[in-house]
Amino acid sequence: MTAAAFKSSAEAAPQSGARLLVSTLERLGVEVVFGYPGGAIMPVYDALAGSRLKHILVRHEQGAAFAADAYARKSGKVGVCMATSGPGATNLITGIANAMMDSVPMVCITGNVAQGLMGTDAFQEIDILGVTLPIVKHSILVRDAADVPAAVEEAFHIAASGRPGPVLVDLPKDVQFATTSDDYGFHIPNETSRIDHDAVAAAEAAIRAAKKPLVYIGGGVKIGRATEALRAFVAATGIPQVSTLNALGTVPTDAPRMLGMLGMHGARAANHAVQDSDLLIVVGARFDDRATGKLAEFAPNARIVHFDIDASEVGKLRAANVAVVGELKDGIEALTTRMAGGPALDIQPWVEACVDAARTGAYRYDAPGEGVYAPALLKEVSEAAGDAFVAACDVGQHQMWAAMHCRFSRPEAHITSGGLGAMGFGLPAGIGAKLADPSATVVTIAGDGGFMMNIQELATLKRYGIPLKIVLIDNSSLGLVRQWQELFFAENYSEIDLSDNPDFVKVAEAFGIEAFRIDRRDQVSEGIQRLLAAEGPCLAHVVIDPRDNVWPLVPPGKSNAEMMEGS
Amino acid sequence: MSNTIHIQIDRADGSLQRLIGLVERRGFHIDGINMADEGAFRRIALTIRGRDAGRCIENLGRQIDRLFGVRRIGNDIIQSEAA
Repeated sequence: MTAAAFKSSAEAAPQSGARLLVSTLERLGVEVVFGYPGGAIMPVYDALAGSRLKHILVRHEQGAAFAADAYARKSGKVGVCMATSGPGATNLITGIANAMMDSVPMVCITGNVAQGLMGTDAFQEIDILGVTLPIVKHSILVRDAADVPAAVEEAFHIAASGRPGPVLVDLPKDVQFATTSDDYGFHIPNETSRIDHDAVAAAEAAIRAAKKPLVYIGGGVKIGRATEALRAFVAATGIPQVSTLNALGTVPTDAPRMLGMLGMHGARAANHAVQDSDLLIVVGARFDDRATGKLAEFAPNARIVHFDIDASEVGKLRAANVAVVGELKDGIEALTTRMAGGPALDIQPWVEACVDAARTGAYRYDAPGEGVYAPALLKEVSEAAGDAFVAACDVGQHQMWAAMHCRFSRPEAHITSGGLGAMGFGLPAGIGAKLADPSATVVTIAGDGGFMMNIQELATLKRYGIPLKIVLIDNSSLGLVRQWQELFFAENYSEIDLSDNPDFVKVAEAFGIEAFRIDRRDQVSEGIQRLLAAEGPCLAHVVIDPRDNVWPLVPPGKSNAEMMEGS
Repeated sequence: MSNTIHIQIDRADGSLQRLIGLVERRGFHIDGINMADEGAFRRIALTIRGRDAGRCIENLGRQIDRLFGVRRIGNDIIQSEAA
């Protein structure tokens, strides 16, 4: 891209680099910044006081990065987090990697030691630009205060454009202190997406030639603001669909031809449809191994039509017969227009077979016993909250149950750490999502393992009075690891026991947060009502049987056709 | 079988590290590097080979092209030669 900086003609009063950072963030429309101060970023925090920015002081920098990530996923705007040098910066890393893996627009601002000290092993000096190189979309070390506005604007542009991702802006302390009268603006280049209409025509021809076409929807559809375009395409053509974890809700999960999630914990009907299809229309997805299972046996009879904004995703893992590279919205709309200009597809037997398989393979919620059945509870939470429901999931069995059983009416309703699979995401993600959309009913769904990884953010909930609802599914173990040890490691249960967890109700109450416990199935409905009706933040501690597993399951390294079912 | 890729890249902080790191992370050995400064740019020739048969140099080229600061790389300047 070409970044043409220009100097404005008016002579401005001298401003510090820190002040220029804050005023640039204000000018870019930033409302919320998640962060934690420290020595090397103190000039920025000095400038922050009295600004229009709402700073959310988290209790650990990882919480700031996760909250900014979820804020971006829910709002569609760039999430912003900041931290000091050294340990502050390294604590952001998991959150930066999370945003990279799921293509989330985020700008991370770190302080650093003064330039003269860089390279001397100074106190709290870390080469954070070097450390983060593999997990950022881009990074900028600002060496002159006059460059701050241009660098920040460029960072925002890069984070949000094309395939989004995290951008690091590292500000040495002397740059924050230095004053300048120069005010460099930044010319945002006009990038127009050019769709190859020959490729779209080839996609149409491939679809018309197929007897068993299937749409494989990825998270890129939501990111590319192509949800409505994709819904119009599937409505116009009647082609059945499967969804990745990060795309759930792009087509509502209860829509008639939405067969469910594909992959390791996918729906049986979805995985079998992929294996049987003769054409996969891949939209904003990347053939992740958790989605494909054994790649060599994935969709063995299918030709591939691949829509993506990132040319380097096309052919990375599976060759495409037709590739349409560019903005998904433009590509899908062009395809829909072409399809609407021709005859309707003759695929009724295939559609009926898919829909029948989805109907007969639908999940059942009549598990025997008195104990809480987590899939049924999560389904009920999502239905009780209705279209306002937003799930901010942690990572583990509860995450898979939420993906499989909750109702999602739009893709922003499901916020999950898909690519990185980062435990500890759920609570700070709930904070970020709720701040992005106060009208939503945001529910953090966490397990006892992941919840403990960022439990300190309960203090953030309390401090700002954020009315987040938390469903803590507690099986007193690292459930997904336990499940794999049971199935694939001869029941050798190694280091998964968490039965010495604290009393989570007491912990929440100690943070000043309402909490109660659900132990039995007959307490579930009343508990959900109480949780959703609470005015402030509220935690429901749900105790389940540690032996409960996530079914069905494709064993690692196997084809998606080989799904295991529990007894 | 090794290949030489020619890249023109901005002289920004970390740009060389970013490029080399990407090539190695994506599964290629770097057998040789040639670099010359050209004002605001660096011109770099990387002689590389895939760590295993599954590594696709065309895809690596697209991943390099995606880096901010890369000004030129293309199939027309990717030259294949016998190892």
